[in-house]
Amino acid sequence: MNPAAAPDLLRSARFRTEREASWQLLDRLVAKTEKSGAKNLSYDEARDLATCYRQAMNSLSVARDISLDRALLIYLEQLCARAYLVVYAPQQSLRGLLSRLVTHGIPQAVRRSSTPLLIGFLALIIGIFAGYHLYQKDPSWYYTFVPGDLSDGRTPDASAEYLRSTIYGDEGGNSDELGAFASFLFSHNTQVAILTFAVGIFLAVPSFLLTFYNGLLLGAFYAMFASKGLGLDLFAWLSIHGVTEMSAICFACAGGARLGLCVLMPGDLTRRDALQHHGRDAVKLVVLAGFLLVFAAFIEGFLRQLVQDPTLRLTIGWGFGAVWGTWLALSGRWDAPA
Amino acid sequence: MSNPAKIRKTKTRSDPQSLTDYLPPEGVPIHFRTASIGARFGAQFMDFLITYGGLLVLLLGLLWINILPETAFVTLFVLLIFLIRVPYYILSELVWNGRTLGKRIVKIRVIAANGRRLSAHQVTARNLMKEVEVFTPTTLLLGGSTGDWVTTLITIVWVLGVIALPFFNRKRQRLGDMIAGTIVVEQPKSVLLPDLAAARAVAVQRFTFLPMHLDFYGRYELQTLESILRDPGKSPSYPVELAKVTEAIIRKIDFVDPVVLGDQREFLLSFYRAQREHLESRRLFGDRREDKNHKVKAG
Repeated sequence: MNPAAAPDLLRSARFRTEREASWQLLDRLVAKTEKSGAKNLSYDEARDLATCYRQAMNSLSVARDISLDRALLIYLEQLCARAYLVVYAPQQSLRGLLSRLVTHGIPQAVRRSSTPLLIGFLALIIGIFAGYHLYQKDPSWYYTFVPGDLSDGRTPDASAEYLRSTIYGDEGGNSDELGAFASFLFSHNTQVAILTFAVGIFLAVPSFLLTFYNGLLLGAFYAMFASKGLGLDLFAWLSIHGVTEMSAICFACAGGARLGLCVLMPGDLTRRDALQHHGRDAVKLVVLAGFLLVFAAFIEGFLRQLVQDPTLRLTIGWGFGAVWGTWLALSGRWDAPA
Repeated sequence: MSNPAKIRKTKTRSDPQSLTDYLPPEGVPIHFRTASIGARFGAQFMDFLITYGGLLVLLLGLLWINILPETAFVTLFVLLIFLIRVPYYILSELVWNGRTLGKRIVKIRVIAANGRRLSAHQVTARNLMKEVEVFTPTTLLLGGSTGDWVTTLITIVWVLGVIALPFFNRKRQRLGDMIAGTIVVEQPKSVLLPDLAAARAVAVQRFTFLPMHLDFYGRYELQTLESILRDPGKSPSYPVELAKVTEAIIRKIDFVDPVVLGDQREFLLSFYRAQREHLESRRLFGDRREDKNHKVKAG
């Protein structure tokens, strides 16, 4: 309408020509960061990235109001989205993350989840009692609970000598095989723990059942050995790794229960928000379980074969239990929540 | 158009893949396109292929050169089988900011739904749930012949439930995404196209448009015209399409000047520029015309 005012450009086109260089600089910087990471940017580039990002965001906001050029709007939007993902990439180091998790995150999460923990440990304890008493009533229950490949000849029909030899015998032999055994135990148990956690989302019932079943197994196993007069020996044999391993399963179950409980009773939140909120602690419980299982696998794979004295086995097993207990009860108690 | 729910529904349908409520700390909303379910299946499949394929190649290679003792070999195998399940996904999404190798190939990524940066907790949570959503059902289905029909039935219901879940929410979140508060989106690509109006700036204005010609259309029609004009026009029917559009516009806006055949693109470009200038200046005065159903304010 008024050709004298500007060199024949629309207002929005002038807006674009004035800022285009800055956008293209941002585009190049983002491409570089996407390719080789923010660490490889020079000081000037890093500064330009931050400035240009804010400018581009600003341009997008203005362009939405004054421009009807769809190509421009889409470009700016995509550019800002790309730059956003680069600028707001996670910056914690893996090591810092882990140490924070160990000193604050996990212990605080454990202390915040008393009800789920109660469910987890109760599931195991009830299972043990049920297994024990069912065996007392009728030893043939043993075959129902304990699968054949797990029992490895340790059945109610076996002689006391054989059973004793499985507790004090030299199971593996050389240390190579112990290592393979330990790695198998770790990966198998962790898989079980993750599953126990994840199925908790179905209203916590499957987690409870899995843990309960673990208890049943233990109870029947113990009752069988106790009936041959080997109760204490088995208790020591199980304790050395079992205190750590079974607590890990209970923690995983508690994590699952935490998810399941908030689906059942979300309180004032929506179910989705409740899941997100409680998920933070639940996940930490599983990480704790995984961490304990690494330890348990080492003890079960190496220490249990190397240490044969029942008193020492008991001391080691429950000693570790006391260490975990103290850590979880005290670490980061007086600091701000992580 | 009477109830708000109906309007909202039609709006979602017209652009089903956009996320409207993504707000970075700068306070300017940006839109990511949600990744399609197909792309996500593809990424998962690629990840399976890469992890299990890599494992197979590695083990065959080790067997072939045969330097490891048998027990060490077994240890390695057991640990690797464990690592390529949940830990692989957690680590790769941590290292590459929400992209596993499979996701990189199909160009999708995980972002935090609340507009903050993706945290380690979120990555861990969403991938732990993969155990119940992907791995266990797959294992059960593949080894399904051993189970009785009740187990098979439960597995099938479980798998169907888990697969169906993302279809029933707008952000296409699976169970793990809901717990972690994440969404999977397409990797944005930025391509700057030339400004159509700037290209016209130097050319001689052959057509003149009066305000009465420009009061008819709104933003939607203008941008539709823009996408038609940006079409490279390789197809043989393109000139016919252009002619149809020209004819329609001339009829609607009562344009009297005759447009010769072959001049149609010229005419449309001029009209685009004039219409955009008009609409943009109306916008500055608070008169946002979304489409041709707007009401022209007097004066």
